[in-house]
Amino acid sequence: MTASHWRQIASVAGLLLAWQILVQAGRINPLFLPAPLSVLGSMWEMTRSGELPWAVLASLNRVIQGFVYGSAAGVLLGLLAGAIRWVEDLLDPWVAAAYPIPKSALFPLFMLWFGLGNPSKIVTIAVGVLFLVLVNTMAGVHAINPTLLKAARDLGASRPQIFVKVILPGALPNIFTGLRLGAGMALILVFITEIEATKTGLGFLLWEAFQLMDTRHVFVGVVTFGLLGVATTWLLQWLERVTCPWIQRSN
Amino acid sequence: MRLALRDIGKTWHIARTGERVSALEGITLDVTPGEFLILLGPSGCGKSTLLQIMAGLEAPSSGAIDFAVGVGGHAKLTSMVFQDYALFPWRTVLANVTFGPEVRGLPRREREARARQLIELVNLRGAEHRYPHELSGGMRQRVALARALANDPQVLLFDEPLAALDSQTRRVMQDELLRIWAETGKTFVYVTHSLQEAVLLGTRIVLMTAGPGRIKQVEEVTLPRPRHLTGRAEAAMLDRLDALLGEEVKRAMAS
Repeated sequence: MTASHWRQIASVAGLLLAWQILVQAGRINPLFLPAPLSVLGSMWEMTRSGELPWAVLASLNRVIQGFVYGSAAGVLLGLLAGAIRWVEDLLDPWVAAAYPIPKSALFPLFMLWFGLGNPSKIVTIAVGVLFLVLVNTMAGVHAINPTLLKAARDLGASRPQIFVKVILPGALPNIFTGLRLGAGMALILVFITEIEATKTGLGFLLWEAFQLMDTRHVFVGVVTFGLLGVATTWLLQWLERVTCPWIQRSN
Repeated sequence: MRLALRDIGKTWHIARTGERVSALEGITLDVTPGEFLILLGPSGCGKSTLLQIMAGLEAPSSGAIDFAVGVGGHAKLTSMVFQDYALFPWRTVLANVTFGPEVRGLPRREREARARQLIELVNLRGAEHRYPHELSGGMRQRVALARALANDPQVLLFDEPLAALDSQTRRVMQDELLRIWAETGKTFVYVTHSLQEAVLLGTRIVLMTAGPGRIKQVEEVTLPRPRHLTGRAEAAMLDRLDALLGEEVKRAMAS
């Protein structure tokens, strides 16, 4: 533990403690800012009653499906577009047009097309993830040292072999950048899509609590989203370490 | 084995200006089996392009290359060693060396046994499972050499392989290259802009002119080995080549 660690712990503990004391002393209205311990208590109750775990599972189901479909399509299209000129030419105008659109703005259209159930939510998440992964994958392919492609050709690799053995691993670091951004996007989009047309999920739980002015439950939702964010980041970092052991990491 | 170049020319088309730039003109050269052939010339004389044409990585604009593989001719004719090593960063030393046999369909056991022999030959035993970024420049170039040898080519093509190394490591690697050349009996074609390297290593030096690259002179080097740059015969040869090369460097800078 360095001095820097202690300062970080002191910062968090100090703020939480001050917050708890100020609420208990009646200086802050718990309707706006419930005390940390009461949020923790609610979280425990909702976990025991099964309400919170079910909400998390419902959201995770949408996030994971949307993320997997979106990133699979993004990696595949990104690799093809990066490696084959005419694929890039066909895709480029669509990517340029769709990239700046907030993907949440597409949710109403997707509800129209795919109904009010899970599919429209999953598609919204998938599309949000797809563009981030696609753009980063393409950048990854373009960043590959051209001499490596030459060396592979010189050593006798065919075009499909170059694709699998050089372009894919060469783009992998950037693909992971896309996946990390995509995971963040998936969490944003699952919240937005769960505000409407559902009675399940963490987003629904949070939004309903807000409408009932149950600020403690709103905080439970916020904290749980935060924990999900941390968990996905860890999971992706672990996956990157396992699949890309060659990447030099400072520290 | 036969590697013969007949009246090779290469023209680059520069899209931005619409210019046509002649990089190589009228290159006629027979590579002799087992020789250590040096392509020497100022920067931009097209010697690297010529090497890429020999490797089949670039097509010549005119002229013909005659590749003829000798008896038992399923081996690949040429393999290239690049200046910046061009190792696959996601592959360990062993996996880099097995890349060629792997894409050419050799069974795993066979290609790994072969790779281990080559790793031994280039003095890298113990480093099999390291990644390129965990190696020094000299070690990386040894890996690149082993990888090029793994396809059992008849001709090894070197594109300024030692240019990125510090002078001490370069000296060691020059001796290593000579040892491996002698041990394997392969034909080496070696591009450099260093006179010293040319005189230390070559059995024959092809001196090229600057833009467009032509063959200015071909020198047989019959000096006994080991050669020393301070030796009298070596110094005389250096002086002569230096004068010739100097003319070309001046011409290149003037044009």
